[in-house]
Amino acid sequence: MSLNTLAQALISGALLGCFYTLMALGFSMILGVTRALNLAHGDLIILGGYLGYWLWSGSGLHPLFLVPVGAAALLPLGLLCQWLFQRLPEPKELSSLVLTFGLSLLLQNLMLALWRGEYRLIASESLAGSIHLGSLGLNPGRLIVAAAALAVVGALYLGLTRTRWGRAVRATSLDREAAALLGINVDEATRTTCLLALALSGGAGVLFATLHYLYPGGGIDLTLLAIVLTIWAGVGRLRSVLVAGILLGVLETLTVAWSGPRWRELVLALVLLISLLARSGGLALGRSH
Amino acid sequence: MPRGEWIGVGLVGAALLLLPPLSGFHPYYLYLVSTALLFGTVATSWNLLAYAGQISFGHAAFFGLGGYGAALASLAGFSPWLAIGVGGLVGAGGAAGIGLASARLRGAYLALATLAYAEVWRGIAHNWTEVSGGGAGLIGIPPLPPVGWLPLDFTRGRAGGYYLSLAFLIVILAVFAGILRSRLGLAFAAVREEEERASLLGVHPLPWKILAFALSGFFTALAGGLYVHMVRVAEPDLMFSRYFSLLPLVMATFGGLYTLLGPAIAALGLYLVSELLLHPLAPAFHQLPYALALIVVALYLPGGLAGLLRKKKHHGTA
Repeated sequence: MSLNTLAQALISGALLGCFYTLMALGFSMILGVTRALNLAHGDLIILGGYLGYWLWSGSGLHPLFLVPVGAAALLPLGLLCQWLFQRLPEPKELSSLVLTFGLSLLLQNLMLALWRGEYRLIASESLAGSIHLGSLGLNPGRLIVAAAALAVVGALYLGLTRTRWGRAVRATSLDREAAALLGINVDEATRTTCLLALALSGGAGVLFATLHYLYPGGGIDLTLLAIVLTIWAGVGRLRSVLVAGILLGVLETLTVAWSGPRWRELVLALVLLISLLARSGGLALGRSH
Repeated sequence: MPRGEWIGVGLVGAALLLLPPLSGFHPYYLYLVSTALLFGTVATSWNLLAYAGQISFGHAAFFGLGGYGAALASLAGFSPWLAIGVGGLVGAGGAAGIGLASARLRGAYLALATLAYAEVWRGIAHNWTEVSGGGAGLIGIPPLPPVGWLPLDFTRGRAGGYYLSLAFLIVILAVFAGILRSRLGLAFAAVREEEERASLLGVHPLPWKILAFALSGFFTALAGGLYVHMVRVAEPDLMFSRYFSLLPLVMATFGGLYTLLGPAIAALGLYLVSELLLHPLAPAFHQLPYALALIVVALYLPGGLAGLLRKKKHHGTA
């Protein structure tokens, strides 16, 4: 591999990684406040993508305008998630896996019924082409998506560390009972976090649809990706999630550059398996801010 | 078991034994009920592992390993009947492997590791083209041949696969019933209830955990090996399909975790309702019962249907 290809892979991997961070945030936030492992996370992102595609093909609007629409469209599901996850019996992690395995199947069937399993892509011309920096070519779509992801991560970081709401959310995910005893409205913090997590997933889905083909079964890879990032970074540590996202993005682009795209899924599953085996204490080890 | 249950089991068993001649050896219905019986075997194997405290989200790995193992053995010239046994051993090995590797994982994290394990094998089957045939898979897998010393009706056409899947279900039920009454069952229950306390009491959890994985993997892989001789192709997305992880979980938890017959009954019921009733009516939604069953079990019915029946009985006597 020439130095130029390597640099190209590193840069596009880092851009991809910023976007991976955005996609993993919803999973990690919900795990923080409800202790639920949401296996339907990736399917929710794909659903956001399909809604974005449907609006884009109907209206011809610029995909970036549709990101907030996708985010708003999934808000009601945020309330549903909060309602479901607060009702889970102990052990919450395991029963959430069972519940969300069912939700994931439900969403896949819904999307299959609505969009018939055809591959869809928001192929906006405004995001195509290539910008040249010396000998490196960059895709403007990927640049915009990475910039949007970084902006969201930055805003969320400020929200979580600088506001009253952020303190309530962090306290709730550290120790729900202690936070409630201290007068923090933990239900309110849980509700707003679930709403925000679903909005992030919906918006991320529209962006995802500009980069990758959508199909109803495509969510599982995104879920596995979110779990890997959460294992690597710990729950709620935004800066670590960003670093982990970029690492995974680079790893993926290098894998694809070296051995071709069909190895992508295998490497992702292997990385998840090895990370789980190596971190046998569970995700809770990283539970801090 | 109370006498009423014995009578019920006897009636269902007799109906299943007589189905091939009664249906006039109808290929489609025999295929459908064979698959339901295979799911019964896989769900009971899943339940056996759960009885030892290990919740798996990756039984597709064992099913697929059994399928590919049997397909390769069959293509290498083994008799299909023997090849299915080879597949069973391959699956048992793969299951013991993940049991050993995940020795320190519990609960949800073990479940995630098994989920990833099944995805890893799907990826390997896609990419190891020289052995697995890659994405196109293996074709030309022979059907089960008739057996000379049996009356022809038992092994003709789809009947051979049908009776073998029924035999698998009976064997795994007998094995599980035996385990429930033996010291092995006590050891499994001890590992499930409290791994640390079990090791203090002199039960080392790890060998029992690996044994439970190997047993569960063996019977699941036998089902995979038979299935591959019924559909006669082995493709990565078919043999390692997530449904072989999802369905046993749904069936066993819905039918009743740790009960002997619940998972098998739920497997037959859910699968046949989904394929015979919902598939013709609303093809896009024929998997809806599985999704709804999972959601209901997670939120309202931790003991599954068997738990509901038990509760009713308690109310009756009180």
